Amino acid sequence: VSLPCLPLIARSKPKTHLATMMKGETKEDHKQQDDVRKGNIVAAKAIADAVRTSLGPRGMDKMIQSGQGEVIITNDGATILKQMSVAHPTAKMMVELSKSQDIEAGDGTTSVVVIAGGLLNCCGQLLNRGIHPNQISEAFQLACTRATEIMREISIPVDFADREALIKCTTTSLSSKVVSQSSGLLAPLAVDAVSRVADPLEQSVDLNNIRIVRKLGGTVDETEMVEGLVFTQKAAKGAGGPTRVQNAKIAVLQFQLSPPKTDIENTVVISDYQQMDRVLKEERNYIADLCKKIAKTGCNVILLQKSILRDAITDLGVHFLSKLKIMLIRDIERDEIEFICKTLQCVPIASVDALRPEKLGKADLVEEFATSDGKVVKVTGVAKPCRTVSILCRGSNKLVLEENERSIHDALCVVRSLFKKRHMIPGGSAPEMEVSTQLMEYAKKLSGVESYCVRAFAEALEIIPATLAENAGLNPITIVTELRIRHAKGEKHAGINVRKGIISDMAEENVLQPLLVSTSALELATECVRMILKIDGVVPTL
Amino acid sequence: MSFPGAGPSVLAQGAQDFKGQDAKMSIIIGAMAVADLVKSTLGPKGMDKILQSQNGEVTVTNDGATILKRLTLDNPAAKILVDISKTQDDEVGDGTTTVCILAGALLAEADPLLSQRIHPQTIVAGWRLALKAAREALEAASWDISGDEEAFKKMLFKIAKTTLSSKIVHNEHDQFAQMCVDAILRIKDCGCHLENIQILKKCGGSMRDSFLAEGFILDKKIGVGQPKRMENAKVLVANTPMDTDKIKIYGAKVKVDSIAKVAEIEQAEVAKMMAKCEKIAATGCNVFINRQLIYNKPEQYFADKGVMAIEHADFEGVERLGAVLGAEIASTFDAPDMIKLGKCDLIEEVQIGEDRLIQFKGCAGGEACTIVLRGASMHLLDEAERSIHDALCVLKTVVKDTRAIYGGGCSEVFMAEAVDQLAKTTPGKKSLAIEAFAKALRSLPKTIAENGGYDSTELVTQLRAAHNKGQSSAGLNMNDGTIGDMKETGIIECFRVKCQSLVSAAEAAEMIIRVDEVITCVPRQRGEE
Repeated sequence: VSLPCLPLIARSKPKTHLATMMKGETKEDHKQQDDVRKGNIVAAKAIADAVRTSLGPRGMDKMIQSGQGEVIITNDGATILKQMSVAHPTAKMMVELSKSQDIEAGDGTTSVVVIAGGLLNCCGQLLNRGIHPNQISEAFQLACTRATEIMREISIPVDFADREALIKCTTTSLSSKVVSQSSGLLAPLAVDAVSRVADPLEQSVDLNNIRIVRKLGGTVDETEMVEGLVFTQKAAKGAGGPTRVQNAKIAVLQFQLSPPKTDIENTVVISDYQQMDRVLKEERNYIADLCKKIAKTGCNVILLQKSILRDAITDLGVHFLSKLKIMLIRDIERDEIEFICKTLQCVPIASVDALRPEKLGKADLVEEFATSDGKVVKVTGVAKPCRTVSILCRGSNKLVLEENERSIHDALCVVRSLFKKRHMIPGGSAPEMEVSTQLMEYAKKLSGVESYCVRAFAEALEIIPATLAENAGLNPITIVTELRIRHAKGEKHAGINVRKGIISDMAEENVLQPLLVSTSALELATECVRMILKIDGVVPTL
Repeated sequence: MSFPGAGPSVLAQGAQDFKGQDAKMSIIIGAMAVADLVKSTLGPKGMDKILQSQNGEVTVTNDGATILKRLTLDNPAAKILVDISKTQDDEVGDGTTTVCILAGALLAEADPLLSQRIHPQTIVAGWRLALKAAREALEAASWDISGDEEAFKKMLFKIAKTTLSSKIVHNEHDQFAQMCVDAILRIKDCGCHLENIQILKKCGGSMRDSFLAEGFILDKKIGVGQPKRMENAKVLVANTPMDTDKIKIYGAKVKVDSIAKVAEIEQAEVAKMMAKCEKIAATGCNVFINRQLIYNKPEQYFADKGVMAIEHADFEGVERLGAVLGAEIASTFDAPDMIKLGKCDLIEEVQIGEDRLIQFKGCAGGEACTIVLRGASMHLLDEAERSIHDALCVLKTVVKDTRAIYGGGCSEVFMAEAVDQLAKTTPGKKSLAIEAFAKALRSLPKTIAENGGYDSTELVTQLRAAHNKGQSSAGLNMNDGTIGDMKETGIIECFRVKCQSLVSAAEAAEMIIRVDEVITCVPRQRGEE
């Protein structure tokens, strides 16, 4: 399948160095440096080719087997690249590139690598013509600045309160994932989750306030958002403790309900049988005393932090708590405490003396639910206003579950980028084609090497529609050329309708994506390509 | 190799001995190879290198010192060049590539002289005269930029811009130069301790989102349930374990005969820890920063007292924090009056990118500031940090010695002209060495032009003609590849840096050329046993 980067001058022409032709003895022919550069480009392109097939709604997934034999199936460019063990330095830069896009926009991690690959491809050709890498680099920067301006011009402003518009954007992002058939559920979910935690006064949304909890079993459709907390730990119960508590008063405990243990090594010396009885009784009393103190505050749900040094709770403790009708959830990690406290608006309690009723959190209902695979505990109806949300993520097997979580993360990032930059842009490769068309026009106004390079940049961008068409099983040449014509006619929002296999107006088809994803992909790809171009030597060190 | 059979072998087996021509070849070629390696990184259009370490780590850099530092070399002369570039880095922070290239060029020019059977000592004598002339010329060309505050600031800005122009931050060099100048002016009155400028790297965002923040930023979290904002903070910086102070005797244990007693001991331990907390609170601090972990219980105690407690601050963070806040790092709390608390006006959480960090504003050591770097990848951030560091070093030098000169190859050509003048009036073979020195000086602008993809010979000869016509501020305009007036383009460099690189390069070259024999010792045998 041919790529759209057609050579500007026929291949048969003998390769003469433009620079040497133009300026006489300008630059010594650094053959070795050229080789390094070309090697770098080849390596980086190999990475781009590896992820190319996973672009777009009809993109394929990759199965990655890690060194330990673990298997991951994913469509997410950042994840694929993260898992690939690459050795070549520039290949590593491409991996970094996709990671950066993940941090910056959270989506478009495949596109950014494909664009970089396309740009590098045309760099190779430009270098072959003897254009100095610095000149290419500067022209690319120029083209990139112009391109982001063009994208801004064709973007559609969006109101963050407009839920429908946000959902459209999120749906586009989810369409390329395994879980795309559930996008009707996941997209609104992501939008609602972000809108809940977003502080309108701030610039950005802290996604740490959204906690994604994975639970194996069920189907992707059973994924839900909980305004409150979800624990995959089931309620610990002995002797019929409660599994459903209304008007819950929740204590977050950081001390242990087990026999005392000192930092210094200790031995309890027992000399006869009676003493043993007494020791056992004392232990009972000690724990019973702790439990009674807890019950006295009116607490009826306990979230118990995990302890490394000793048992967080013994069976005896569990037993007493069930007798006192206190629900117990154990094995809470220390780093979860902050999120829990934020949600329940309470403070953690680190010693039994510090236990006071005002330190407890309140919720309408704490209930254990049975799912197909184990149980989950949900805490709902927490005091308002609460700027945290939990998402219970489901999947029928581990691979789907993990992919589901990644997809939700991407979706959340999409909503967040809309919060940061409130503009949408049509998807389906419409912006890339529009930028390409306009840059071609722009190149005509420039002169010299600059014009040449900007034109090459414009052509390189056609790799996105070409790949999209290719992955959908369409003829890339027909589709790309038709798309080019439509854009030349001024249809700024024309893109590839992958499902129907035709060109149509993407804004009407509701295929929209955040502006930030597209601009950042282009900016980061250009930055990375420029960095690769600037390298003229690989120095091995210790 | 010593000639086999030409007498008894003096050296141990395996040791090598190069003499005469062989020695000359090996050292000159070695030094030139190193110079060639970094040559392409010089100037605003210089290229970058990938440094690939054996464990697969990758660094992309344009900084001569970084490249040379990481090289593994076997050639003794090459090691000398690496050393002078290191010295240059330590002394003035910038010009590391220049010094290496100049030394390499001097040796390259000396090579044909040696072939003409001119004695190395004659060459050295010539170089010394030339160096003196060049230095005098450089001093004559320099001018003082201190005086008016505003004008000085502008000059500093231009110098920072010149330094940064060859770096990765090139695109936003206005912004970065401004940041560096602001940072250096803050610390200027207090002896210019660069430790007071913290550089914080945070992945994500673009270079443009980098900024200069007041005070100090710590990448840690405030304990749960504690105040997230503290005005008029009194900070206790400590390095102390917050669990029970254990006896350090192995096998120490207590024997009891009941659980109640175990509970008592536990209580006692807790009480001891709480006593420590009380002592800490008694120092009157409202912010407690510990290098070690703070466990749940003390955390709760501090939360109850309304004290902000930050645990697990890294070592460097604690040291710097102590310096910036004017606090001493404490580890015992028995004598509250011995403990020096740090002060700052405001501590609050700030969001940078994805993370929440703690910012200390209005510190006691009022000059402290933080440069927060943002960028697409860690490679980029590391390189940006090196660039900022270079710029800060140069600015620091300028603040101390306020003389400046024109860059863009202007000062080199100016010096070369002066040296050439000297060559014409010096009788004897020394004159050839002086001429060689001038040629070597001219190779710097030549390299800069070459790296930009311009016709270097053409430009350098034009530049020379311009200087001869009396345009003493003419230099290379690397934006359009022409000769321009450096006064207009604002390419200004620090006099100290230039002078230092000139002298170090000449010294190194002299040292290398005086060598007439290389003896390589037997490498230490490994793995014999």
